Amino acid sequence: MRANTAKKDTLVMDRRSFLAGAAAAFLMPVTLTVASRPAAAAATGVGAYIRIGDDNSVTLITGQTEMGQGIASGLAQIMAEELMLDWAQVRFEHAPVNPQLYGLPGWGVQLTGGSTSTMMWYTPLRTASAKAAYRLRAAAALTFGGTIDQWSMVVGGKVKHATYGEQTFASVLGQIANTSDPATVSFAGTKRIVGQPVRRIDLASKVDGSAIFGADVMLPGMVFASVVHCPTITGTVKTCPTRASGAIAVVNLGDAVGVVAKNTWSAMRIASSLQSKVVWNKPTNLTLLDSTALATAAQALQDTASPPNLKPYDTAGTPDDKLGQIDVTYKTPFLAHACMEVLNATVSITKADGVVTFVELWVPTQGQSFIPSTVRSVAGLEKLTDAQIKVNSMLCGGGFGRKIEQDYVLQAIKLAMAVNKPVKLTWSRPQDFKNDKYRPYASMHVKMGGDVNGINAMVYRNVSASINFQHGSNPEDTGAVAGAVKLPYSIPHRRVEFTPLPTAVPLGYWRSVGESYNTFAMESAIDEMALALKQDPIDYRLRMLSGDVRATAVLQKLKSSPNYTGMKAGQRGVAFLKGFNSYVAVALEITLDSSARIKVTKAHYVIDCGVVINPNAVEAQMQGGLVHGIYSALYSRVTFANGVPSVTNFSNYRVLTPSDMPKVTVDILEGTPDTAMPGGVGEAGVPCVAPAIANAYARLKSTRVRELPFHPGMTMSD
Amino acid sequence: MAQISFTLNGVKKTVTVDSIETPLLWVLRDDLGLTGTKYGCGVEICGACTVVVNGQPEKSCDKKIGEVAGATIMTIEGLKNDPLGARLQKAWLQYQVPQCGYCQSGMMMAAYGRLKAGESVSSTATGLNNICQCGTFQRVKEAILALPTIA
Repeated sequence: MRANTAKKDTLVMDRRSFLAGAAAAFLMPVTLTVASRPAAAAATGVGAYIRIGDDNSVTLITGQTEMGQGIASGLAQIMAEELMLDWAQVRFEHAPVNPQLYGLPGWGVQLTGGSTSTMMWYTPLRTASAKAAYRLRAAAALTFGGTIDQWSMVVGGKVKHATYGEQTFASVLGQIANTSDPATVSFAGTKRIVGQPVRRIDLASKVDGSAIFGADVMLPGMVFASVVHCPTITGTVKTCPTRASGAIAVVNLGDAVGVVAKNTWSAMRIASSLQSKVVWNKPTNLTLLDSTALATAAQALQDTASPPNLKPYDTAGTPDDKLGQIDVTYKTPFLAHACMEVLNATVSITKADGVVTFVELWVPTQGQSFIPSTVRSVAGLEKLTDAQIKVNSMLCGGGFGRKIEQDYVLQAIKLAMAVNKPVKLTWSRPQDFKNDKYRPYASMHVKMGGDVNGINAMVYRNVSASINFQHGSNPEDTGAVAGAVKLPYSIPHRRVEFTPLPTAVPLGYWRSVGESYNTFAMESAIDEMALALKQDPIDYRLRMLSGDVRATAVLQKLKSSPNYTGMKAGQRGVAFLKGFNSYVAVALEITLDSSARIKVTKAHYVIDCGVVINPNAVEAQMQGGLVHGIYSALYSRVTFANGVPSVTNFSNYRVLTPSDMPKVTVDILEGTPDTAMPGGVGEAGVPCVAPAIANAYARLKSTRVRELPFHPGMTMSD
Repeated sequence: MAQISFTLNGVKKTVTVDSIETPLLWVLRDDLGLTGTKYGCGVEICGACTVVVNGQPEKSCDKKIGEVAGATIMTIEGLKNDPLGARLQKAWLQYQVPQCGYCQSGMMMAAYGRLKAGESVSSTATGLNNICQCGTFQRVKEAILALPTIA
């Protein structure tokens, strides 16, 4: 079946399939244009990755969204290394929408997700930058004289010749158009900026209030809008008032009612007051929108030998006759993204003789590729060409996967069409919580057999609300089993299965996606076996790592770290992840407070993410991954009672504050880096946290917790 | 319609508002264009909207504009004008605190307000209750604790 077919603004995409195709696409040639100024770049019609200013500043133009992960700086470091730049002369800009130029190499889609930005851009961007270095030398020869080989790069955005001296990049740009790429690309071979903890180029604007997030866009003549959705999730508008006191306009958006007013506060307040005055088409499939009913349905699918759409993803040997020692089921809840910046978008529409000729948008988005088609899905805009649509990608105040979606963008476009003025739409926090694209509920049944040398047999079935299945594509969902397949461990007899749980709850990608629940189950299960056999949890994993050198090095490093040995063994838990092309081991120490609630007191990470672009940024992502992991493991969940979500604000969606933060340390290994494809770090810090907590708790209390969160129902005041 | 006057980042301001109930947050952002102060939850939980009013950190999302008539207000945009504020910014950069940065205006103004009101560095470093979903807490703490060493 295909749930939720009425929704047109959802995203049809199998991110893991795209990822699987990435390697071949690294062979794609990279178009390089170096232009002296933006106008010139635009005039060429092909855009540019690198722009050199008249002031000799060098700007990286990137399709990757800066949403906190530091990608702008990381990619700029790759560019700066090859061009031998001073870090102070480096800038960045978000690119316009142009998937052919700015889409992820391999996916061909301009989006930021799956921890792919660095891994996919490292080689293409390094190559483009090295070509640029060659062409700048060639341009210098044309400008001043001598041969290309007589010109060399000098630190600081300059080229140098024995006779003609040092010249800035800016001074040779006039001849760039007359140069061509080298026959073979040679790299700088230095580690002056790549691998160094240089300061992020976006942070100065983030400590003085000058950074402009999507929510901060201001345009002349702008009006402000907010929305209210049906209290029952996925409900639509049947009829709504056409005006309201204090409102400039009340607009039926289909999935919500929009209110336009003189300021955001008025818009939010009026929208909220309208909720009871709207006649809603409430959904009728309430059992598909009820978390208790969904949990029952998931269990029924676990109990059925051959449920619908069951697919094996990883099979080997004959597992079924070797099981029986451990038979357990893990469960993880729906979760909200809860980005600090609520959903928002700003749209300005230009008309000539009553016909729309241009649409400009300012959007905090992870999904640039999808915006033009979102624009064209609106009545009256179907025929707009790409040239008539301009998307300004704004800084995101958190993304975590939510800002790939198009629902809020579509609403803002419709509002701008309705009022003929630039409109900034800002969702209220309750609307943001109650209309998320939630992380799927998941149930994971694990049956295992093994001995002190490892797990010999495993049957693992994931029943979860599949993102792809809901979005109407193939019921297969490689993302749903990510974290349960391609394991570093040798399990000779195994079968990993997935069957989609039909649901109408809107689903989306939540930081670390499949790994966020499968790693909880898998790393808990391995620990259960180790504990049952009285084996050291790290040694047990090491024995199962059939010759995976990098995985072995990471676990051995963890075991020998004073940050690990310094933790109390009876309060300590470990977990390991090979994912996102990285290897991550985590150890945590926990304690219980006076209410018997878990508090994580220490955490230590060991990560091998291949080529390290910025160790300071890697550390930050592990710190942040820990925070995401702790709040989701200990406190947070979203439940639905006949379609009404349980969360309304941070008051009933407990996240972390500074006093919850344990001391965290990070060791970064770069043992045998994969230079072709650095690993991802944006999501890699999250998945191990929940199992490490559960594994620590099993030692502390001799009780195995298999359902998250540990402490449901907590509020921010607890 | 009402006119409300106050001192904002050292400058006298008078705003005309439809309602004196309008939260200070939205007057700052929508009327005055000072977008450094952020909307996070609207119910005084997350702290993203924190500003300093008459020397105390206050959550501006639920502070009615009518209540700040005559008050002295500092927002993130004015932080650099105070020596302690400028040191706080230096510390934040030295420790590379922000990730997405959205909560950091409130985080910094909460820390600044506490310190300005006489709270110790160590008590401020452990006492903040602002939400940050990127998880910058360890660096927030390190940056505040390092303040005495930052000129």
